[in-house]
Amino acid sequence: MKKNLLLSLAGLFFLFLLVACGGNNTDNSKETSADAESDATTEDTSSEETAEPVEIEFWHAMSGPHEEAINGFVEDFNSEHENITVKPVNQGSYDDLEQKVMAAAKAGNLPTLSQAVTNVIPEYIANDFVAPLNDFIEDSEIGLSDEELNDYVDVFKQSSQWDGTYYSLPFSKSTRILFYNTTMLEENGLEAPKTWEDVRNIAETVTGDGIVGMGFENSYESEFQAILKQMGGTYIDKETHEAKFGSKEGVQAMTMIKDMIDEGIARTAGEDNYMSNPFGRGDVAMYIGSSAGIPHVASAAEGNIEWSATTMPTLDGEAATTFAGNDIVMFNQAETAEQEAAWQFMKYLTSPEVSADWAMQSGYLPVRYSAQETEDYQAYVEENPAYEAGPKQFDTGFFIARVQGGDAVRNIVLEELDKILLDEKTVEEGLSDAQEQANEELQQ
Amino acid sequence: MMLKPTWKSTLKALLYLLPALLILVTFNIYPIVKSFLMSFYTNYDFFKNIINERGFSNFIELFQDPNFIQALQNTVIFVIGVVPISIILSLAIAILLNSKIKFSGLFRTIYFLPFVTSVVAVAIVWSWIFHSDYGLLNYFLGWFGVDPIDWLTDPTFAMPALIILSIWKGLGFNIIIFLAGLQSVNEQYYLAAKVDGASAWHRFKSVTLPLLSPTMFFVSIISIINAFKVFDEIFALFNGKPGPANSALTVVYYVYQKFYEEWEFGLASAAAFVLFIIVFLFTIIQLIIGRKFVHYQ
Repeated sequence: MKKNLLLSLAGLFFLFLLVACGGNNTDNSKETSADAESDATTEDTSSEETAEPVEIEFWHAMSGPHEEAINGFVEDFNSEHENITVKPVNQGSYDDLEQKVMAAAKAGNLPTLSQAVTNVIPEYIANDFVAPLNDFIEDSEIGLSDEELNDYVDVFKQSSQWDGTYYSLPFSKSTRILFYNTTMLEENGLEAPKTWEDVRNIAETVTGDGIVGMGFENSYESEFQAILKQMGGTYIDKETHEAKFGSKEGVQAMTMIKDMIDEGIARTAGEDNYMSNPFGRGDVAMYIGSSAGIPHVASAAEGNIEWSATTMPTLDGEAATTFAGNDIVMFNQAETAEQEAAWQFMKYLTSPEVSADWAMQSGYLPVRYSAQETEDYQAYVEENPAYEAGPKQFDTGFFIARVQGGDAVRNIVLEELDKILLDEKTVEEGLSDAQEQANEELQQ
Repeated sequence: MMLKPTWKSTLKALLYLLPALLILVTFNIYPIVKSFLMSFYTNYDFFKNIINERGFSNFIELFQDPNFIQALQNTVIFVIGVVPISIILSLAIAILLNSKIKFSGLFRTIYFLPFVTSVVAVAIVWSWIFHSDYGLLNYFLGWFGVDPIDWLTDPTFAMPALIILSIWKGLGFNIIIFLAGLQSVNEQYYLAAKVDGASAWHRFKSVTLPLLSPTMFFVSIISIINAFKVFDEIFALFNGKPGPANSALTVVYYVYQKFYEEWEFGLASAAAFVLFIIVFLFTIIQLIIGRKFVHYQ
């Protein structure tokens, strides 16, 4: 009996090896044939123009009202373009979408278009499956005029380029803004904070009786980055791909956040996951979070508190705030006709009217300057003044260097910042450890 | 009736096994082999499937990574925390449900519910229960004068919180298996034991346990394998983070981070393979121990 068992185990391992070798061979042959195919498609591209009907898939991670808005845009676009049919496909959450793109890239059946987190695009570029857009943008017929291109909000235009090449167009973008409880501030005769000093004073005044003055999201590394920038420091050098947040400025920035938390006048979202709920309950007087969170704050605050939002606090007159979010990318496995159709759709989605409409329906930022000037949008902002805070910061906005390994660095930083707040490490130790690990990751 | 194995009968058996084998080979065995091979690719283009270099550096890097060591430790703590308590509790409940109590059908359903509910929903409910200010658990503990515990944000309590959730979640499945085992024990053994004057404890120790040993064996193997593979509960309970300061980072979570978040395919495969070897060894040890203690009727 025992012998049998060992024999069968050995047999199983042998089987593994057999399958392994076989598997490898077929993979290689598939690989070469796929290569041949893609070569063939690139060769016979220019002969056919968009006369024949084209169907393209657009993967996204928007659900609920956001998905309805996208479906609406797609319908309008499809009816305007006889030959083009865009098929929107909801792939679940951003994480799900990213995983499915990875799997599809491996299997060689990527969609033509997809939403993508800006920070993951460097991986797509490095693995060569995202198409550069410069040829489309510069095309005299279907491209963008200089005027149009300059109408894209500068910080977004910058974050869609890598070494001067456009790999994406901005779509669902957000920035950090400060939410505050108007009643609580008025009762104490306080005004909306403009500087970090104001934030500290207000927090000191209103803290107590179950209320904490200031709140940070669990992703407060954004605030750390913003304060670091306001102090004149650098997070990751975009030229040398070197992490520099362990500097003197970095230590100061993190100490500033940690001091407030240690004194009990600030907290992180912690187990509440997002700050909108404790803020809506009236547990915190202010917090800094994503402008895309406005609808969540609105629903959490409904019937509980009065609130508003303002721009990110400044430090010694320096303003800086991180912009983040999602872009639209085109994958290069598609044929030319499909890519041209996809470009038309990208252009349409980021056109001033659609961008304004999207901003109003979703709470994301408009991506074109002229979108803000449309009558509808103006009227909308007047009614919902919280939406003003985001676009006001276009000129002071920045984004952290988008480099390969960025997500690994994010994991490292989140972990070390956690340890700093839990007093497992000092600010200096935590940041220099994080910087060291990050640089190991980035130099690979 | 036993047939002598012939080529014909073996082929026939293979034919019947083929559908299951096809699925197993495609979705289980092939990925295991592939990840085993991938763990040796040190310079690898995942998408174009071009292997530039092979070697052991992934494994070296893995064991030099303090996070992986921590993941291993956390996983072992998790297994030790979950499996024994889960087995003892579910056996006790199964024996209760097997005795003639009122509404036993209803209770069976209630205990089975956590198992069929989605992990994410369960974890969200538990994250409310564990909430330090508004949670039920701290509210109850407050009755006994226990100060509120930061279950989800204090690294000391994150793992216990995860273990509590996992025990609760796994109970239903184990109970059902134990119930089935208990019901297959012939009533006559108990009658005979009673005639000999055995107490309830003696009957449990000398009749129930030995006759239940095949079930116990099955449950412990399955539980240990499942506990080593824990991931969903962590992802949902801590909202996409491996607990405060990595206190609930397990090996599978580590694999997830490396593969999907950091695109370190070789390293992720190496970690997955190390886990496979650990589970494999544990299962063999159990098989060997099982040979000594398991009585088949």
